[in-house]
Amino acid sequence: MKRRQHMLEDLDRDIREHIERETQDNIDRGMAPDEAKYAAIRKFGNVTQMKEDTREVWTMLWLDQFAQDLRFAARMLRKSPGFAAAAILTLALGIGANTAIFTVIHAVLLEPLPYANPQELVTWHGNESQLEIDDIRQQADFFSAGGGVNPEAVTYTDGTEPVGVHAGYTDGGLFPVLGVAPMLGRALTMDDNRFGGPRVAVLSYSFWRDYLAGDPNAVGKTIGVDDNRYTVIGVMPSGFGVPAYDFDLYLPLRVAYADAARYRGVHFMNTYWRLKPGVSLHQAAAGLATISARLARDYPGEERNRVRTPVPLAQAVTGDVRPALLILSGAVCLVLLIACANFAGLLLARSEARRREMVIRAALGGGRRRLIFQGLAESSLLALMGGAAALPLAALCVRALVAAKPAMLAHQNPISMDAAVMAFGIGVSLLTGLIFGMAPAWSYSRADVAESLKREGRTATAGRGGLGFRKALVTTEIGMALVLLTGTGLLVRSFAQLRSVDPGFDPARVMAIHIQLPTVRYAEIPKQLQFRRGLLDRLNALPGVQAAMASDIPLDGNELTHNLAIEGQAPVTEGDEPEVDTICVMGDYFGVMRIAMRAGRALTPQDDENHPLVAVVNESLARRYFAGQDAIGQRIRWAREKEPRWMTIVGVVADVKQYSLAEPAYPAVFTPFAQTDEGWRRWMAVVVRMPDATAAQLPTIKRQVWDLDPQIPLNRIVSLDELMGLSLAERQFNMSLLGLFAALSVVLVAVGIYGVTAYSVSQRTHEIGIRIAVGARRLDVLRLVMGQGVRMAALGTALGLAGAFALTRLMTKLLFGISATDPLTFAAVVGLMLAVVLVASFVPARRAMRVDPMVALRYE
Amino acid sequence: MSTREEKERIELLQGTLDLLILRTLVLGPAHGHAIAKAIEYRSDEVLQVEQGSLYPALHRLIRRGWIAAEEGTSENNRRAKYYRLTARGRKQLTLETNKWAKLAGAIGRVLRPSKQEGRP
Repeated sequence: MKRRQHMLEDLDRDIREHIERETQDNIDRGMAPDEAKYAAIRKFGNVTQMKEDTREVWTMLWLDQFAQDLRFAARMLRKSPGFAAAAILTLALGIGANTAIFTVIHAVLLEPLPYANPQELVTWHGNESQLEIDDIRQQADFFSAGGGVNPEAVTYTDGTEPVGVHAGYTDGGLFPVLGVAPMLGRALTMDDNRFGGPRVAVLSYSFWRDYLAGDPNAVGKTIGVDDNRYTVIGVMPSGFGVPAYDFDLYLPLRVAYADAARYRGVHFMNTYWRLKPGVSLHQAAAGLATISARLARDYPGEERNRVRTPVPLAQAVTGDVRPALLILSGAVCLVLLIACANFAGLLLARSEARRREMVIRAALGGGRRRLIFQGLAESSLLALMGGAAALPLAALCVRALVAAKPAMLAHQNPISMDAAVMAFGIGVSLLTGLIFGMAPAWSYSRADVAESLKREGRTATAGRGGLGFRKALVTTEIGMALVLLTGTGLLVRSFAQLRSVDPGFDPARVMAIHIQLPTVRYAEIPKQLQFRRGLLDRLNALPGVQAAMASDIPLDGNELTHNLAIEGQAPVTEGDEPEVDTICVMGDYFGVMRIAMRAGRALTPQDDENHPLVAVVNESLARRYFAGQDAIGQRIRWAREKEPRWMTIVGVVADVKQYSLAEPAYPAVFTPFAQTDEGWRRWMAVVVRMPDATAAQLPTIKRQVWDLDPQIPLNRIVSLDELMGLSLAERQFNMSLLGLFAALSVVLVAVGIYGVTAYSVSQRTHEIGIRIAVGARRLDVLRLVMGQGVRMAALGTALGLAGAFALTRLMTKLLFGISATDPLTFAAVVGLMLAVVLVASFVPARRAMRVDPMVALRYE
Repeated sequence: MSTREEKERIELLQGTLDLLILRTLVLGPAHGHAIAKAIEYRSDEVLQVEQGSLYPALHRLIRRGWIAAEEGTSENNRRAKYYRLTARGRKQLTLETNKWAKLAGAIGRVLRPSKQEGRP
């Protein structure tokens, strides 16, 4: 490099002299001085071009040298395969884990949603009624489009057996707002969504493929849904979906579900809105607040206290996943840093071992830059090879991740490794090589020739310079691993706490069968009751089987709330009434679920349409609304009923975790299906307790249902144990992944400690020999060597604890039942880390104890 | 130096300049201008060196380690940069000369018959 600069600096002088000489020659030949100079310059040619060419010669040299360095590095690495393998494996683990997590983050958080201009799309928490959507769409001049959809289970009846499919009851604005063109035909429009309009349907790609055999002429044909015929008007392309839903077909709401569309208070549609270009989220929020206030004034009963806070759709879709993914990515970064520190440690150890070679090369005139470059070439080569090994590893990890966790990664964008991810992996590898190769490369070039040669010749306690840095690296590693361990420990403890939460029912050996009665044939309540009673009678007649049903069972993600009014208590303003879960049951539901009775009696078959209205409430409700009095005998009703239907509370049951194990129970009211006037509750989950709740029982159960009505689809059959598992799955996933990272980091740290200690023992063999020769006991040697490990551990642990205190509060959302600074977890983690350090430094320490002083001294 | 005169000169083939420089330096170290002059003179002024192109070539040869540059004093007592052949350069010259002889011979053989054929 220096030579290059030197040569180029001289070039100007060379040119000047050359032209002077030529001029002189020309004058000697008899030219006039001016003419002579002009001729000389002309003969020389284009000076700028020439300089450029010359500079290029040296640039080529630089590249050439780099290639040479790489070849040399490759040769050196082939000569020490152990070192190369260790370095490559270390990096492959770190980079592979990072690339895998980045793949997921890229797909889930970074990739835009598959809609036109997805950054304009917003939504909000809380559902809207059809009338509200109409009002907002009309009044909001800051939205260019908006629409909603309500998920419904319907029956497709044109198949060999009835199939339960997912329909989206769609407001006319849904398709315009998402802006995806249909593959065949047309999408639903505002005009399709009117009362008494023709029955039309838009199909999803998968429904069209599976049930219509991908018929290219599907448009115009009719399909049977819930005892009606719908004409297919369009098919959406593959990959289209409404965020967080997996609809099979889309039906206009006012046609398919006219009852619900008429009521302002039936908030049942998820809505999606498109901001006009240039409108900010903030402006939209302000505008919505104005509209909400206006609606609350006009319709106080339905609209009071309704808050609409728009959030970007992308954020809403990834809302639950984001914190977990960000924490995982932080964790995996720590793993990479630890791997890099280990990598740098390995390189340093190697540079120490090759110090003599480097010193000699420096003595023979190897330039400092050249030596640094050679070091960097070697580390970059290693890093790139590590990266190359990491990519297949990452691909495997991604496949395992997607297989292990469908719920969290259920997302619009498919998760796969693409060019961006590859670039990420390669970029990380290169950066790693350059940054972490810098330190050892620097130490090569610092080699002070005379001093080092002297030291190499004869040494007692030498080689401390590089060792100090390596110890610092390992100390940092211990700190980072401790942070990871603490995070994992907190998740493990949370998980254990959650597992020990009493759900309020006994899930063992209970199956749940989800059934939705078709609209037309079961429009009337007596018809529904006939089916329900018939089914329970049949099931209960089976030997060893106990069956009951409820409109919504716990931990299933379904809820239905009503506003409550209590007899004898001061009337509450409309909109401010208490909201309680409402569940219709039939049969001995509490008995089958083993939900404990706290007071009064359970609901019986006598509580039917010919007897007084009754209800059972849960403890939360009794505690909150009948504090200090007996709930039994009190009368309650649903607020805002036209004709009050008072129900007498006859029993109190224990709280059940309806939503999730982590959430406290809500106040809940259980009423008999036989006494309900809500004919639209056509769905039910039949719970069946039997000695052997396995899939083998399914045909028997199915036959009972189809004997009653062969047109009923069995939508979903799960065991309650499965439901419990599903409710814990996400936490378990996070815990396992973080645990994997923590384990990886602990292994890397152990290797790091072992490496440093073993190296220091090998360097100090002579010193230890002398110590033993002059009377040190083996135990003193052990203490000497392990003391070093313990000092690193103490410092690293202190660092790690400080880091953990600062960082674990970020994961509060993922914890349950413990604080982010749970002392038990912190203590356990510190203990584990110390144990790892002791074991990792004990192995080399034992070798130090066995040093034979005679051998050690003779070795010199 | 008329235009006519220039047209009679032959432009150097790519890479042959390197060979000529090496050949020139066999006689002893020389500075850049002297090398250019020597090439023109020894080729009876048929070969035209655009003198500027000499310098990238010199640097290229230094880079390859075939020649080396050193400071010296010129005939009229001025400081000048001298180029001299290295041992590797001498070896390279032998190699390149042989190669050139083969090439020239081969091209000569290809060209000779065409004279006898005449025009169709």
